[in-house]
Amino acid sequence: MSVTVNGKPFDDQPAPGQCLRTFLRQLGHFGVKKGCDAGDCGACTVYLDGEPVHSCLVPAFRAEGREVTTIEGLAQGGALHPMQQAFLDAQGYQCGFCTAGMIMTAAALNQEQKADLGRALKGNLCRCTGYRAVEDAIAGRRDTEDARPGRGVGHNVPAPAGPDVVTGRARFTLDVAIDGLHHIKLLRSPHAHARIRAIDKSAALAVPGVVAVLTHEDAPATLYSSARHETRDTDPDDTRVLDDVMRFIGQRVAAVVATSEAAAEEGCRKLVVDYEILPAVFDPETAMQPGAPRLHDKGPQARIANASRNLVAEMHGATGDVAQGFTAADAIHEGTYFVPRVQHAHLETLCAIAWIDESGRLNVRSSTQVPFLTRLELAHVFGLDRDKVRVFCERVGGGFGAKQEMLTEDIAALAALKTGKPVKLEFTREEQFVGATTRHPMKVTVKIGARRDGALTAIEMHVVSNTGAYGNHGMPVLEHACSEAVSVYRCPNKKIDGYAVYTNTVAAGAFRGYGLPQTGFAVESAIDEVARMIGMDALEFRRCNVVRKGEPMIGLHEAPDDVIYGSYGLDQCLDLVQAALMRGDGDEAPPGWSVGEGTALTMIDTVPPGGHYSDTYIWLEADGTYNMTIGTAEFGNGTSTVHRQIAASVLNASPLAIAFTQSDTDHGGHDTGAYGSTGTVVAGRATQRAAEALRDKLLDFAATQSGVDRAQCKLAGDAVDCGGKTIALGELFRIAEAFVVDLSAHGTTNGIPRSVAFNVHGFRVAVNTTTGEVKIIKSVQAADAGTVINPMQCRAQIEGGVAQALGAAMFEEVVVDTEGRVTNPSFRHYRIPAFADVPHTEVLFARTSDELGPFGAKSMSESPYNPVAPALANAIRAATGVRFYRLPLKPDRIHAGITAAG
Amino acid sequence: MYNFTFHRPTTVRQAAGLLARNPEGKLLAGGHSLLPVMKQRLAQPSALVDLSQVEGMTGVELKGRSVVIGAMTRHADVAKSDVLKEVLPGLASVPGSIGDPQVRNRGTIGGSIANNDPNADYPAACLGLGATIITNKRRIAADDFFTGMFSTALEDGEIIVKVSFPIAKKAAYEKFKHPASGFALVGVFVSKRGPDIRVAVTGAGSNGVFRVKSFEEALAKRFSPKSIEGMTIPANGMNSDIHATPEYRAHLVGVLAKRALAKATA
Repeated sequence: MSVTVNGKPFDDQPAPGQCLRTFLRQLGHFGVKKGCDAGDCGACTVYLDGEPVHSCLVPAFRAEGREVTTIEGLAQGGALHPMQQAFLDAQGYQCGFCTAGMIMTAAALNQEQKADLGRALKGNLCRCTGYRAVEDAIAGRRDTEDARPGRGVGHNVPAPAGPDVVTGRARFTLDVAIDGLHHIKLLRSPHAHARIRAIDKSAALAVPGVVAVLTHEDAPATLYSSARHETRDTDPDDTRVLDDVMRFIGQRVAAVVATSEAAAEEGCRKLVVDYEILPAVFDPETAMQPGAPRLHDKGPQARIANASRNLVAEMHGATGDVAQGFTAADAIHEGTYFVPRVQHAHLETLCAIAWIDESGRLNVRSSTQVPFLTRLELAHVFGLDRDKVRVFCERVGGGFGAKQEMLTEDIAALAALKTGKPVKLEFTREEQFVGATTRHPMKVTVKIGARRDGALTAIEMHVVSNTGAYGNHGMPVLEHACSEAVSVYRCPNKKIDGYAVYTNTVAAGAFRGYGLPQTGFAVESAIDEVARMIGMDALEFRRCNVVRKGEPMIGLHEAPDDVIYGSYGLDQCLDLVQAALMRGDGDEAPPGWSVGEGTALTMIDTVPPGGHYSDTYIWLEADGTYNMTIGTAEFGNGTSTVHRQIAASVLNASPLAIAFTQSDTDHGGHDTGAYGSTGTVVAGRATQRAAEALRDKLLDFAATQSGVDRAQCKLAGDAVDCGGKTIALGELFRIAEAFVVDLSAHGTTNGIPRSVAFNVHGFRVAVNTTTGEVKIIKSVQAADAGTVINPMQCRAQIEGGVAQALGAAMFEEVVVDTEGRVTNPSFRHYRIPAFADVPHTEVLFARTSDELGPFGAKSMSESPYNPVAPALANAIRAATGVRFYRLPLKPDRIHAGITAAG
Repeated sequence: MYNFTFHRPTTVRQAAGLLARNPEGKLLAGGHSLLPVMKQRLAQPSALVDLSQVEGMTGVELKGRSVVIGAMTRHADVAKSDVLKEVLPGLASVPGSIGDPQVRNRGTIGGSIANNDPNADYPAACLGLGATIITNKRRIAADDFFTGMFSTALEDGEIIVKVSFPIAKKAAYEKFKHPASGFALVGVFVSKRGPDIRVAVTGAGSNGVFRVKSFEEALAKRFSPKSIEGMTIPANGMNSDIHATPEYRAHLVGVLAKRALAKATA
């Protein structure tokens, strides 16, 4: 078949059944991405004779004799296409995985289509940005500043990867061509609870191309948790690489390794498994009862709180006397709230490539937020010396917590170790829903009492968290859920009980907000109700009751000693949102729709408990520029930009003069990982310290060399200014080399102590009471992020968090049926917000500076998500008079609620 | 994906012959419904007969008092048709609301009708206008064509060649989109052509697209939203899924019928 791709003729025969997407990647066009493989996401958009198409749904044969254009062919004659330049100028991306497809679609729009972007971009999903930056790009707005000396912290420095992202050159996990690469496919359990009696591999092994079938007989007996934490004792050891007990529909039964993906798939279909079906339990409250089917028959060494009651964790805490507190209350609201499963839906599915190098070392190139912790656990599980394992990532296509989990690396490592071949494992979008992780569904009963004067008298909360079949993150998510949502309120009497329960459903795991979105929905809804009951404005009620700087933060317990008020801007956030709503701007409500306003707040510890470590190494290069290695991974959170800015500010250099490599265990040092909102506050602090140490070394050495007093020496771009006498940094390097003086430095942090960050969200909504439709006509979020190191990026983090939270608040739900099966495992049935679904959110920053974070910065990646759903529910309550206790707030539910209320 | 043979006929006759020789084969139009289900192995045809190179199956033409659309005409091309916008704007608005731009650049009217997805838009337009589906063998009235969810009156070896829509003086389509996807949670097409009054509903029925006789009778007196004010249809027989309850869908049928009537009579 002959086809022209980007003006170059190709003569190649596609495989029968091959789609254009994989055909183009096979020809080396890695800018063509897979997000869904079903025509729903647009990441694989290319032009066929000039028209955008989903290349995953075009048979490769249909390209015969036609002209195909991919992102790699968009730039002409060495100059970027204007749309590529526009996405650079506005930084219209975060992780960049959807960007090639987005740019292809955007570059084909005419003026009329640009006027209706909701419609024009419907076929291109982005999970990171909330689309505001995409809109800015298409509108030709410039949100970035030129990088130059003096423009470090506080400036809108563009992301270093920008030019690669907009041209499709950026290498995500699977964007590499490896000779002899083998493919892994997983057979997954059709039963919610079963024991494997036998697996007949013979037919599978007979499939041409199949080289190995791996089952529990091949897997190490070592138990571990897919959750990765600095302290591995945080999570229970309840998981095997391949187990002989199936605990949910979708659990991996066997891995087939073959020379092609099709052969591996065929091998999976040919496996014959004999199961002994076991009784299953799907409801966590039933699972806690005596006599319920037990999921894990493991001893205390597994660190399961109470295996006979399926409790991975339980926690109880109280201060004061809640009974007395409720007696003293003039108004009490009690309600049971439910937050269902939602999925991260990062556009790059989980994937890894593993191989054994010449020295016999296991290498894993993975889509991970935690390369260092994954290395340690792989070494533990496979009994390898840690020096015999290398884990690294290049660009990661979104994560949101999902990639703080070891769900592909273990299988890929097993396959590489067993076969000696380079192997690849890539989850399908369906596998993301049935075999990865979700948010922990939680049922939260909350009871709040207050006096008529506005003082809270008691808060009682009972939380049942469904951790699914495995306990990864079960305990710490519950602990977090039971903390800041309550500890942000000053109240003398509190009681909290929490249970994290195993059920025979897909495992829950880490997800942006880490438990707080669930309990926050309950508490912030209840606070709104109590305020109504005592006739007080809900924001004013909050203002009366939130903790103020210096006051104890009491959730389950008084906050651990290492949480301090490094800064406090909650008061400002409340004021900013109130003022923004009072301004009365925003969209007009459609005629006849009911209008209401609602607000909610969140507080979040800036670092997870128990220590969070990062190392940065930085050195001067021969050409007078800097280079550094940082441990933390970049998955769209923008930290690599921020690290350059921090180093640039310390060294008074241009951010462009600072090269770096990151997230590779070969670089030495340690990094706990890019989770818990630590990429800036912890890892950035390490970079700041490294840069400061290097600055001191450079100035000391320059002072010695020039004979000028050290106090008269300062760094000035690419030189040191020694009291007016300039030494170029390149020259300084040569002198140092001659004297064998080391001009490199190291910085490290441990994430202790920690501070608190705050967000307040406000909505004005219009509700069509005839249909239950909700239109957001004003959205505002105020954030206390401390010093904002990159306002454009931080704003985009908040917009993206709001958009992701709006999906969960309005329509997302992973539906599990009565047999334990996920019934909507695709983007067509689990729909994440598209451009048209996301309103503009006005983002406002409190003016604070934190005493702990680098340059006064605080974390701001998870918390923007947390207050969104309750603020929306409170606005809908105001518009309709109906309190909704369950997410998502879908039109049919709202209509039914309004109808029931009469 | 699995291995299957791929045929690229250039005439309807060749396509029909290939279908006859490949009883487990399927026709491939735009492929945007078929290929995803093939990837999931929910359909496993042994052969695909690609209609994209068959001549004479595209275009929008005015023929007497009807508009005739070739089965392989893409949604994007139907949406762009000036003829259609002029003589039958109610129908012209339908394809532009399907899927997304990439889908509209591939998806076809023939594929949509043959698939008869219970949430698809075109079946409502066909039934709501009393279209005639023209195959390589016969002419089938829309009333007889859609026989249930994902099922039609098409026989083995039968290929939709074109669809003929009578020009109705008043016609409009209103749909309530799934909260985020573009599919019709409920879609209602209304039309009036002389005494022929039609109210066709997609998305709602558990048996696919259907007409609402009670609304049509009420509209016979006066084709106006007022005529069906307060009328409802029973939730019994409405589709229930993760996206909406039967009661809600039944309720939306009334709401959307009124909106469509208001648009058609504006």
